[in-house]
Amino acid sequence: MTETAIEAAALSKGFGRRRRKPALDDCAFRLPAGRICALVGPNGAGKSTLLSLAAGLARPSEGTISVLGQAPAAVRERVAYVAQDKPLHPQLTVADTLRFGRELNPRRWDAAVAERIVAEGGLDPDAKVRTLSGGQRTRVALALALGKRPEVLLLDEPMADLDPLARHQLMAALMADAAEHGTTVVMSSHVVAELDGSCDHLLLLGAGRVRLAGPLDDLLAAHRLVTGRADASLEPHTVVESRTTGRQLTALVRPEGSLGDGWQVTAPTLEELVLAHLRTPEAPALRLDSAREAAV
Amino acid sequence: MTTALTVETPSTGVAPSRGPRGLVWAMLRVHRWALWFWALLVAVGAGALLFTYGPGTDAAWAEYRAMGCHLRDVGPDCDFSGPAISRLNLANTLGDPLLSFVPLLVAAWAGAALIGRELESGTAQLAWTQSVSPARWLAAKLAVAAVLLVSGTTVLTLLHRLAWSSTGRLRSITPWREWYEDDIFLANGTLATAYALLGLAVGVLAGLLQRRALPALGTAAVGLLVLMYTLSAWRPHLWPVETLTSKDGHPEGVGMPLGEGALTSTGARISDPVCLEDTKCLAEHDVVGYYRDHHPASHFWPLQLMETALVLAVAALAVLIAFRLLRRRTGAAV
Repeated sequence: MTETAIEAAALSKGFGRRRRKPALDDCAFRLPAGRICALVGPNGAGKSTLLSLAAGLARPSEGTISVLGQAPAAVRERVAYVAQDKPLHPQLTVADTLRFGRELNPRRWDAAVAERIVAEGGLDPDAKVRTLSGGQRTRVALALALGKRPEVLLLDEPMADLDPLARHQLMAALMADAAEHGTTVVMSSHVVAELDGSCDHLLLLGAGRVRLAGPLDDLLAAHRLVTGRADASLEPHTVVESRTTGRQLTALVRPEGSLGDGWQVTAPTLEELVLAHLRTPEAPALRLDSAREAAV
Repeated sequence: MTTALTVETPSTGVAPSRGPRGLVWAMLRVHRWALWFWALLVAVGAGALLFTYGPGTDAAWAEYRAMGCHLRDVGPDCDFSGPAISRLNLANTLGDPLLSFVPLLVAAWAGAALIGRELESGTAQLAWTQSVSPARWLAAKLAVAAVLLVSGTTVLTLLHRLAWSSTGRLRSITPWREWYEDDIFLANGTLATAYALLGLAVGVLAGLLQRRALPALGTAAVGLLVLMYTLSAWRPHLWPVETLTSKDGHPEGVGMPLGEGALTSTGARISDPVCLEDTKCLAEHDVVGYYRDHHPASHFWPLQLMETALVLAVAALAVLIAFRLLRRRTGAAV
């Protein structure tokens, strides 16, 4: 039994007085510690809301979320969070921003890690944050987050402002650091390709609900991409999405036992898995992340 | 069991540095320009008040003497002011209302820069995701700002009292300022500090309510002006009023005037029918005397302290609401 990094139960969060459409609606999932979790979903799926709840910046409308077994507000010291727009004090220099991290994390601050991340980007420590480019700000924000030596690292669209080279380099640094310290990382993105290869856990949100949750390998193994004749039946398998082109049918299914002959079967990629679920909001959700393996 | 839960205690390479630490350092560093501006404002105000206290009043007094205005019979030229008196007036124009203006300035700054902008840009959330709870973050902001405000306003108040005492002989000659005028009353006691703290509390609350810099600035300024107006309207009622009566003509006008009129034979108060010497008119209105309500100068401290307590109570309430609001929004504050 591994430790739990983040666990949510019946989690809902609405904004505004009417709460006609909640940002998160009855979400349940469990993320074991030490995982690199991709938090995927279209714009407005509730990714940022979920991360800010986990960071203890807002309180749920209903349900609970716990981080490292406690309320998010109780574990601020052990969790780092980088918001989507990378907020930093514009009037501070890079060096002062790192000192900000040191002063506000007196028991955890690792100056060497933070300074290395900044130095790798060739940033002048005396440059004011307001003079930095978007990518450079991202680097400083990540340095601040990693300098804290978090046990759980929450990153909201971390790579959006980075050029491909910097993205590759920063991602590698992040993964090496996480692997070395066993950090749990939750990384949101609507670009699936950005996360492929670095993540071993998937949480797919759609319209505020959990669509897929679990270890990436298990989720991929639970799905098959099949191609066959359009008039063939896919009973009793769960069809996530099917498309017919002429007399040929292509479908993403969750096989219930053997698929039988007449089907050309391949394993889906992460992107195919995600896109198929996003294109069909009515497809049933699948959770493979708890000991109970409850399908929601 | 994964390594995620083996907590390391790095703190490597952290050289102990002098000066403020933690949130206090962050507060002073982030709001460095506001700090400089406050220092400048206090310096300018102190300069004007010191000028009034020393050379300004001396030169004005010398000018009065030269015009013969220090004598009991005030000369005809005394209504005109020479250059020294003009300079003193200028210094007073700066020194007197400064402390009345500070609360508004503080409220606008606290609403917009201290809280509103930080919530709008996300830097508040940046602080809350370090090892700092929202409640401690707010407490540090309030405490550092309050300490600076209390020290600055205390210096200015003490200097204003000095300057006020030194212009006393000038006030005895010409109608100068009176002790109960709003800005003088505020600047000569504990109220300047209390209203500055109210400005801080109102600004912080407005910032938390609006969560954006510009709307917070407007809300804080309007909120503070309404509160200042309301609270100072209560001022005369915070201590028992003294009444002067006289049989013929209005009583002498001393102290903070609060109301006057005529008295009938039953002791009832009516508005003065303006009969002057017309006995028929006086008889018709049954006027047997006149009254005047006022606060004598000896009521200065009781009035000052009562209002200070009231203002501080309102400020404390605003701070309490601010903490509650923050706590409700961000989950249990630890």
